[in-house]
Amino acid sequence: MMVVMASKTVLVTCGATVAFPRLVDVVLRKKLLERLSDAGFRRLIVQYGKGYETEFEKRLDAMGCVPTQCSLDDSVLGTTATGSCCRSFVPKGLEIVGFEYSSKVQDIVRIADLVISHAGTGSILDALRAGRPLIVCVNDELMDNHQQQIADRFEEKGYVWACKPRESEIAECLSRSQSETLVQFPQAYSAQFENDLSRLAFK
Amino acid sequence: MNIELLCVVLLVVYVVYIVRLIWVLPFFRSYGSGNDESIDRRGPLNVFVFLGSGGHTGEMLRLVENYKKMVLAKGNTVYVGYSDEKSRIQFIQQVASENEGCRFEYRRLKKAREVNAGLFTSLVSVLQTLVQSLAVIFKVSRAMSGKPHLVLLNGPGTCCVIAIWFKVIEWLNLFQPSSNIVYVESLARITSLSLTGKLLYWIADLFIVQWEELCLTHPRAKYYGVLV
Repeated sequence: MMVVMASKTVLVTCGATVAFPRLVDVVLRKKLLERLSDAGFRRLIVQYGKGYETEFEKRLDAMGCVPTQCSLDDSVLGTTATGSCCRSFVPKGLEIVGFEYSSKVQDIVRIADLVISHAGTGSILDALRAGRPLIVCVNDELMDNHQQQIADRFEEKGYVWACKPRESEIAECLSRSQSETLVQFPQAYSAQFENDLSRLAFK
Repeated sequence: MNIELLCVVLLVVYVVYIVRLIWVLPFFRSYGSGNDESIDRRGPLNVFVFLGSGGHTGEMLRLVENYKKMVLAKGNTVYVGYSDEKSRIQFIQQVASENEGCRFEYRRLKKAREVNAGLFTSLVSVLQTLVQSLAVIFKVSRAMSGKPHLVLLNGPGTCCVIAIWFKVIEWLNLFQPSSNIVYVESLARITSLSLTGKLLYWIADLFIVQWEELCLTHPRAKYYGVLV
């Protein structure tokens, strides 16, 4: 018999620099919310990025989400979590918590069972260093091609599942995340590096 | 007669500084890997770190945190260079407040170049940064000189200015010890170096990349895995 965890949480994070409306837009589609719910998720936290607050709430209203008491404390989201709001996606009883940005993202990652993130190295490292399964979504409209490169390379190594902000691709990564296990990201400590540093400093 | 003497003196000074320049640049020195048990690794360390902004600051904070046993050891003095207030606050929250055994000194440095700035604006801004940062780096460099020290840089542009001043000071002052500049290229650079990396490749005493294939095209670069 399958045991469904009490409140599995999925975190969607767009990073601090620029908003990534297409990712939020895709995640908030009815079909994806249903899929998340079917996969056992009861809470969806969305860090949507600067200037997207009104649009975010509009999207939730359009889907008939109703305001609800947030199950997360303000102290968890961080005092600087501006524009936070909480709704419930009634048909599936999925709680949706949204906020612009928080300096506590690194802590919020730790309460998530799955992270869907933009392809910035900061967000990728936040999730992988916390040991969270990670779906990386590349913003293919950015001029900077490092994000694509880094996503491809991390997927090649088996550290993440990578996709573009399309419903079908995210859905596929989601189902992969339910059946596959990722390769563990190597730790950042290198004794050789520390040794070379001290040779340089103390010589 | 006097003119001849002057010429000889000038020639000697000229040769001395050329030799010194060659000595100061890392290409003619080797910091090979390996264990050297004869080195005394005790005593407080002086570290200068530069917080670039955004992703650069993020990677630097991780680096410092991951190697805090050495970088943030009790009694160390950490000079924190920064361009934006946000990075300084982040550093205080994530690093300084948790490591009270260290002394932290903050030094503001003007940003060398705004993203997408025009050529003229960039030029003026670079000149301003040059002058302002010389004063800062000169003082830090004097404070660290003679003590075990490290300079940790990871971009962006302002790092070039910082590194150049450290090396110029080292070059002109014949008794100044090596600046010990360590540059860690961003994790986001997989197949090519950043502009800052390309320049610091010729200046940094220890030049580090976080993707092994960059070592193939840059033989001086060292790879220790992902450090952030």
